[in-house]
Amino acid sequence: MNTADFLNLLVAAVLLAGVYAAMSVGMTIIYGVLKIVNLAHAGFLMLGAYFVYELYTRANIDPLLGVILAFPVFFLIGVAVYWLLVRRIPRSDQPTLSSLLLLFGLWLVLQNLGYLIWGNGDHAILTPRTFSTFQIGPIIFPTVRLVVFGAAVASLACLEFALHRTWFGRAIRALMQNSDAGRIAGVHVDRTAQVAFGIGIAFAGAAGGLLAMMYSFTPDFGGSFLLRAFVIIVLGGLESFAGVAVGALILALVETFSILLIPSGYQPAISFSLLVLALVILPDGVAGLWKKRQRLA
Amino acid sequence: MKQDARRNAPSLSRFVTIAPPLFLVVILALVPLAHPGPNAIRLLFISLVWITASVGWNILGGVAGQVSFGFAVFYGLGAYATAISLNAGLDRLPSLALAALVGATTSLLVGLPTFRLRGPYFAIATIGVSEAVRVVMTNLAVTGGASGYRITEKGAFNQRLHFYVALGLAAGAVAISMLIRHSKLGLALISIREDEDAASDLGVNPYATKLLTHALAAALTAAAGGVYAGYSAFVHPNGVFGFDISVAILLMPIIGGIGTVWGPVIGAVVYGLVQEELIASFPQFHLFLYGALLILIILFEPGGVLGLINQLIRFVKARTGVGAHT
Amino acid sequence: MTHLSSKRSFRLCARSLNFLLVAICFFTIAGCGKGGNSGNEIRVGVVMPITGREAKPGQYQREGIELAIKQINDAGGIMVKEKGKKLRVKEVFYDDASDQAKSAGLVERAMTTDEVTAVIGGYSTALGEAESVMPDRYQTPWITPGAAAAHIFSRDYTYTFGTLSSTDLLGYTTGEFLGSLTDAGKLKKDLAVALALENTDHGVEYGEGIQRWIQEHPGYFRVVFSEKFDLGGTDFSGLLQKVKASKADIFLADAHLQDYITMERQYIQSGMYHQMISYGARGPDQDARKALGDATNYIFAGLWWSKKLPYPQVKKFDADYQAFAGHEPDSYYPAPAYDAMRALAMAIEQAGTLNKTAIRDALKNVELKDSLMPGQVLRFGKMGQVELPFVIVQNKPDDKSDIVYPKDAATGEAVAPKPRK
Repeated sequence: MNTADFLNLLVAAVLLAGVYAAMSVGMTIIYGVLKIVNLAHAGFLMLGAYFVYELYTRANIDPLLGVILAFPVFFLIGVAVYWLLVRRIPRSDQPTLSSLLLLFGLWLVLQNLGYLIWGNGDHAILTPRTFSTFQIGPIIFPTVRLVVFGAAVASLACLEFALHRTWFGRAIRALMQNSDAGRIAGVHVDRTAQVAFGIGIAFAGAAGGLLAMMYSFTPDFGGSFLLRAFVIIVLGGLESFAGVAVGALILALVETFSILLIPSGYQPAISFSLLVLALVILPDGVAGLWKKRQRLA
Repeated sequence: MKQDARRNAPSLSRFVTIAPPLFLVVILALVPLAHPGPNAIRLLFISLVWITASVGWNILGGVAGQVSFGFAVFYGLGAYATAISLNAGLDRLPSLALAALVGATTSLLVGLPTFRLRGPYFAIATIGVSEAVRVVMTNLAVTGGASGYRITEKGAFNQRLHFYVALGLAAGAVAISMLIRHSKLGLALISIREDEDAASDLGVNPYATKLLTHALAAALTAAAGGVYAGYSAFVHPNGVFGFDISVAILLMPIIGGIGTVWGPVIGAVVYGLVQEELIASFPQFHLFLYGALLILIILFEPGGVLGLINQLIRFVKARTGVGAHT
Repeated sequence: MTHLSSKRSFRLCARSLNFLLVAICFFTIAGCGKGGNSGNEIRVGVVMPITGREAKPGQYQREGIELAIKQINDAGGIMVKEKGKKLRVKEVFYDDASDQAKSAGLVERAMTTDEVTAVIGGYSTALGEAESVMPDRYQTPWITPGAAAAHIFSRDYTYTFGTLSSTDLLGYTTGEFLGSLTDAGKLKKDLAVALALENTDHGVEYGEGIQRWIQEHPGYFRVVFSEKFDLGGTDFSGLLQKVKASKADIFLADAHLQDYITMERQYIQSGMYHQMISYGARGPDQDARKALGDATNYIFAGLWWSKKLPYPQVKKFDADYQAFAGHEPDSYYPAPAYDAMRALAMAIEQAGTLNKTAIRDALKNVELKDSLMPGQVLRFGKMGQVELPFVIVQNKPDDKSDIVYPKDAATGEAVAPKPRK
C-alpha cells in the first residue's frame, strides 16, 4: 500500500473516531454522574436524527443548525424523562439492573413511537454538503465527517472545560466520585443529577442529528451504535471524557485497519473481541491506566 | 407435644415444597392427551423452552447476582450443536446432552477471563462475547454461514415428543433450581451476590463458585436451545445468537421475580404468552406495550410478579390480622 | 411458637399462591389453542415483517397481497365447486417483526389454530427458510413471494412454493447482461470484476451466480476481488480501498439499502470510478434516489420485476396499487406477492375444493397467463420455485430509469461504460 492510501485510511479512521466520540459523549455523562447505563441512548440518537430530518425537509433548516437546535430541545426532553421515570428508581453508586431495564423499556417505547410516526422506510438527508470533499494533496477529507469531527472535539472540549472550571462542573465531578460526600459538601444531588441527565440526552439528540447527516436511518437506528458506545466507554474508562476520545480512537483505528488483515465480514467480531480483551486486561479502561500512572508518579 | 410439632414441621414443609410442582408436572404431561390442538402445544412448548433458559440464567444472574447480557451465546451454541449432531445421526437425547456439554465448556472459556470483572463490566463483556460468536457463525461456511443450518427431519413430525422432552428438561431445571436454593451452594451464591468480598472472607471461593454456577446455567440454556432447534428444524446465527434473545432470557426472571425459584417460571410463561398474543393482536404496538410493561414493572414492583403476590399476601394479613402477635 | 407458625403460614400461603398462578398461566395457554373456521370464507394466512429490519419490503408485499384479495373479493370471491358458490377471501395477518422464531411460530399458528387454507409469507430467505419447515409438517400450501434461495426448495418438501426465481440465477443473469454488453462492443473483453457482497444468503448466492457465469464463459471477465461485509457498516473506507487496490474495471456490490447509501456516498467521496457499477437489487429504489441524488445515475440493478415492464397488466397494476396503497410500488416487492395470491386463487378454483392437498396439487399445475412477472406467464417449477427471467434496470439522469435487459422487455439502451463526470 502506498503512502497516500495509508494516509487516507488513517484520516478515515481518525474522522470515524470523531463520529464515535460524538455519539458516546451522552452516554458517558449519564453513566459518570448517575451510574446508569442508558440503553435508551439509541432511541434518542434515532429521535435526534428524525428531528434534524424533519427540520430540514419541512422548514429547509440546514442540518447543522438543526443539530444546534437539538441541544435545548433534547435537554428539556431529558429533564422530563428524568422527572417522570428515572428519579423513581433507587439511586446507587453502582449501576443497577433496574436502571438498565427501565431505560431498555424506554428504548422499546421510543422505537415504536418512531414506527408509528415515520413508518418503516429508510430516510436520509441529502444536501450539497453530503458529497463534497476537501482535498490536501492526495488526501481526501469528506466535508461531513470533518464537521462531525469538529463537533465532537468541540463538545468534548466544552465538557472538560465545564467540568474543571465551573462550579456546576465541580458539583458533577463530586457526584461522579462519591455522591454522599458530595451531598455533605453542599451539592444538591437530585437537581445536579437531573441536569446531568438532561445534558446527556441533549448530547444524544445532537449526536443523532450529526449521524443523520452521514447515514440513512430507520426507527430502529442506534442499536449498533449503542454497542460501539459501550466498547468506547469501557476502553476509555467509564468516567472520563478524555477517555472517550481515546476509546473512540482505538476502536476506529482497529476497525479501519483490521480490514486489511482479515476479511471484512469478521470485522465486528474484532471490535467485540477488543472489548472483551480490554475489559480483562484493563478493567478501568485506558484512563484508569493513566490515573494509575499519575498516582504512582 | 412441642417437640413433635417441630419434628413434623420440616417434613410438612418439604411436602408442600415438592408436592404441588410434581402435581403440576403430571397435569402438564396429561395435557396433550386431552387434544387441546397443535397451537396450544406449541405455546406450551415454547414456554417450557423459555422456562429452562430463564431458570438457568436466574441461577447465575438472580441467585448469584452475576448479570449476564450475553446468554444467547449458549442458547445458540446449544442449538447448533443439537442441529449438527441430529443431522449426523445422533438421537435426540444424546444430542441434547451434547448441547449441554458444549454450553458448559464454552461457559468456562467465557467465565475464566470475565469473572474477574464486576458489575456493568461483566455485563458488557458478555455482550461482546455473544456478538463476536454471532459474527463468526455468520461467516462460517461449514455451518451454513449467513444462510443458516437446516435439520433434515427423519420421519413424521411428532409434536408430543418435542413437548415431553421440553417438559422433562424444564422440570429438571426447576428441580435443580430448588435443590440449589435449599443447599449450601445456594447460600454461597446469595452471599456472593450480596457482598463478594465478605463472602470470600467467610471461606467461599467466589471465582470457582461463579464458574461452576455459570457452567450449570449455560448447560441448561444450551439444552433449551437444542430443544428449540429440534422443533424448528432450522437455525440461523441472527436468530439464535441475537441480542434480543439475550435480552429475553434476562427479562423473564425480572418479570417473574428475580432470584426466586418460581419467578423465572412465571416470567417465562408470561413472556411467552404476552409476546404471542401481543404480536398477534397488536402488530403496530407490540414494542410499545412490551416496553411499557417493563417500565411499569421496574418502577412499581421490581420483585416482579412474585413480589406483587408477596405484597398482596402481606396486605391481606395486615388487614385480617392473621399471624399477628402482640 | 406463634412467630414460627406465622412465618411458616406466610410461606405456605405464598407458595400455594405461586403455584396457583403458574398453573393458571399454563392453562390459559392451553386454552389459547382454539380457533375456528366458519367454512363460509377462505382463510389465507399472511405472515410478513412490518417492523424490524425487513419492515419496508414486508409492507409492500403485504399491500400487494391485500390488493389481490380486495380485487378477488370485489368480484364476489373465489368459486369453489364443492360448496357450489363463490367464497370470499379472509386475510389472517401476522407481523413477524423480522424475527425467525416468531415467523415460524406464527405460520404454525396460522396453519393450526386459524385453520387457514394456505399461507403466503416469508420476506427474505432467513424468514422464509424458518417458515418453510411448517408447510409439509401441517400439509398446508405455503407460497413465498420474498424468499429466493434455491436451497429452500431443494428438498423433498412438496407443499412449498415460491414466486421469486433463485438469487443464484439473478447473479447469473447479471453476468449474462454484462456479457451481452461485451458482445455489443460497449465493453472490452477480459475486464476485471470486484465483488463486495453483504454477508447474507442473498449476497452469497448472488456472488455465486456471477462467478458461475464468468467461469462458464471464459474470456469475458475475471474476478480480481471478492469479499463479504457485515450489515450496518459505519465506514467502508477500508473495503473500498481494497477494491481500489484490486484495479477492477467493474464494481459489483450487493447490499441492503442502508449500506448501499453509506457505501456509495463514500465511493463518490473517495473519487472512485468503475465502468459498470451495481448494488445487487438496489437500483431504482426511491429512497436511494432521495439519499444519493445524481450519484445513482447509471447504476444498474438486477430485479425480479420492474413497474416499467411494457405489459398492459403491469400498467393496470401500477395504477390500482397507487390507488389502493397511496404510494407507488417500490422496487420489485409487491408484484410477486400479488401474483402469489392470484396463483393461489386460481389453484383453489381449479381444485374446486378447500382440501389443502388438492389445492397443493392444483398449484403444481397452475399457469397464471397474465402474470406481472417477466415473461408474463407464472408457473411453478418442479421444486415449487418459479423459473422466470429477470430484468436489468439502469438508472438514468433526471430521476429516470430504463429496463435495459432482456431485449424484448427493454425500454431503453444500456449506457456502458458509465460516463465519467
